[in-house]
Amino acid sequence: MSTTVMPELRKRVEKLRSLPSSPAVLQPLLELLRKPPDQVEINQVVKLVSYEKTIAAQLLRIANSALYGRSMPAESIQAAVFTLGIQRIEDVLISSCFSKLVPKEKWVVDPGVFWRHSFGCALVCREFAEQIEYGDADKAYLAGLLHDLGIIVNSLAYTKEYREVLARAVDTGRPLVEQEQETLGFTHCDSGAILANTWQLPGTITEVIEWHHDVENSPSTNALIGIVHLGDLLCRMRGLGYGYGEWRAVDLEADPAWIALAKHCPKLKNMDLARFTMDLDSYVVRITKLVDTIFSPSQEVSTAER
Amino acid sequence: MAIDIIKPTAPAAIDADLSDPALIKLRDLIYRMSGIYHPDNKFYLLATRARLRMKALSTVTFAEYIEQLTTRPNRDAEMRSLLNEITIGETYFFRSQAQCDAISKILVPQLTAMSSKQGFKKLRVWSAGCSTGEEPYTLSILLGEQIAQNFADWTFEILATDLNENSITKCREGLYAEYAVRNLNSERRQKYFKQEGAFFRINEAVKAPIKFERLNLQDQTRMLFMKGFDLIFCCNVLIYFDGVAKRRTVDHFFNGLIPGGYFFLGECETLFGIYDQFRLVHLPGTAAYQRPLPEGVTTP
Repeated sequence: MSTTVMPELRKRVEKLRSLPSSPAVLQPLLELLRKPPDQVEINQVVKLVSYEKTIAAQLLRIANSALYGRSMPAESIQAAVFTLGIQRIEDVLISSCFSKLVPKEKWVVDPGVFWRHSFGCALVCREFAEQIEYGDADKAYLAGLLHDLGIIVNSLAYTKEYREVLARAVDTGRPLVEQEQETLGFTHCDSGAILANTWQLPGTITEVIEWHHDVENSPSTNALIGIVHLGDLLCRMRGLGYGYGEWRAVDLEADPAWIALAKHCPKLKNMDLARFTMDLDSYVVRITKLVDTIFSPSQEVSTAER
Repeated sequence: MAIDIIKPTAPAAIDADLSDPALIKLRDLIYRMSGIYHPDNKFYLLATRARLRMKALSTVTFAEYIEQLTTRPNRDAEMRSLLNEITIGETYFFRSQAQCDAISKILVPQLTAMSSKQGFKKLRVWSAGCSTGEEPYTLSILLGEQIAQNFADWTFEILATDLNENSITKCREGLYAEYAVRNLNSERRQKYFKQEGAFFRINEAVKAPIKFERLNLQDQTRMLFMKGFDLIFCCNVLIYFDGVAKRRTVDHFFNGLIPGGYFFLGECETLFGIYDQFRLVHLPGTAAYQRPLPEGVTTP
C-alpha cells in the first residue's frame, strides 16, 4: 500500500466504527464464530438472535421457507434455530450483520453477488481444506467467508470511486484487485485489513484478508492464506465471482500459492482438481438458493444499482 | 460453521437417489472406467440414464445393475451401452457457450500471439471423433468470425476425423435438423445455413476450411504424423477406450499439439489418473488441458 494513501484510507475506514447501523450483535457473534460449532450452546445463539428484531424475523422466514419443508410453521426463535441448525444461523447472522453496515445506496457490488461469492468461497475453502487434510476446515470456512471484507469497506468509504473501479473491471474483464490498485492506489485487501484490525478479528483471519491476493509477499506462513487465494480464484473462474467474466486462463498448479501450500499439505499433489472443479459447479446451485433465501425482495437489503 | 447441503427440489425418487450408496458407487465406477464424472447437480442425469438401461435389462436396483457392469460376461458391452446412453444427444451447434467464449476471447488471442513470434499466421485445429460434424462446423463459424474481426491477416484450417465412415459422409453432407441448430440465433442461422424444409444445410464457406477424413485413433502409424495443432478437441471418445489405449491416444494428442496448445475433452471428462503431462487450465466456466511451454517461456 502506498504511504500517501494509507493515512487517508485509515481515516475513512475508522469512520466505520461509529456507523449507527453497526449492529450490537456483531461483537458477540464474532466471539461465537471463534468456537467450533459443536461447542456453541443453543441458548447463546437464541440470545444473540433476539438482539435484532429484523434478524429474528428473517430467521423465522427462512426456517419457514420451502427450502426446509417444515410441516408446521416455526413460530419461535428457538424453533427457527433448531430448524436451521447452528451453522446456518451463523451464516445468516454474519451476512445480515455485514449487510446492515452498508446502506442500500452504497452497495457497489450487488449484495447478492457479493454473498454468493463469499459463501461460495467459504464452502470451497472448507472442502478444499478437508481434501488436502489441512486440519481446521471450519476455520478455512470462516476465512473464506470473511476474506473480502475490504469490498464492503471500499463500498462504504469510497462509494463513487469504487463504482468506477467495478465498471472498469467489468468492461475489461480484469480482476477487481488489479483495477483497485490502478484506480485507487490500494486494494480491498488493504482496507479489509484495517477494518479487521480495528474489529480485532482473529490474527489468522486478518492475515487472510490482507494477503489473499499477494501470497508470495506475505510475511506469514499461515496456510489459510493459500487456501483462500486458491478457493477465491476457483470461485471466480466457475461463475461465483463478482458478476462478470475475468477473461484469462488460470493454471492453479503453477500458482505460487499452490506451490507453497503443497509444502504444508502434501495431499495437494495427488488431488483430483478436475473433479473438485466439477463438484464446485454443484455448489453454485446450493449457494444461489441460500443467498436468494436470505436476501429475498422482502428484506431491507435489496439489489443495489451498479 | 458451514453451509449444510440443501437438497434440490426434485421429485421424491430422484431425491432418494442422492443418498443411495449404490448410485454413488455407480458414479465412481463410471468415473474410474471412462473418466466421466457426475457431480451432485448432474446426479439425476446419471440416475435417469442408468434406469433406462436397467429397464432394458429388467434390473430393479442400482446394486444389481453394478453387478451386471462388473461381474457378468457381457459387462463390457453393457458399460458401452450405458456410456452411449449417458452421452446421447450431446451433439449440437455451439453446445458450450463457456467453451466458445474462452476460445474466442482468450485462446485465439493467446495462440495467435505465440505463433506470430514464429512467423506463422495459420491456426490449426483438430476435431478428433467429430461424429456428425456439429463440433468442427461450430469451430469453423467461431474462428471465422473471430479472425475476420480481429486477425484479418490470419487463416485457419480444421481437420475433422471420425472412425465411422457414415459419420464422415453425414459431415460432408452438412444437413441438420432443428435440434442441432437450436442454440444458434436467427442471425447465425441465416448467415451460415440454407433452410431446406425442416432441415438446415451448412454453407460452403463454413465447409471450406474443414478437411473431413476417416481416422482410427488406434492407428499408431497415422497418429504419429498428426502434428502441429494449436487446438485439439476429443469429446466423449476416449471414454470407450481401456486404460492403455487411452494413455497411448492422449500421448499422441499431447505430441500433436504445439507447446502452449490446448486439448479439450467432453464437459464431464477428466484425465486424472490417466495422463499427467498436460497442465489443467481453468477458463471462465470451463477448463482445458495445455501442453506446457518450454522452461522459461511464458504465455503471452
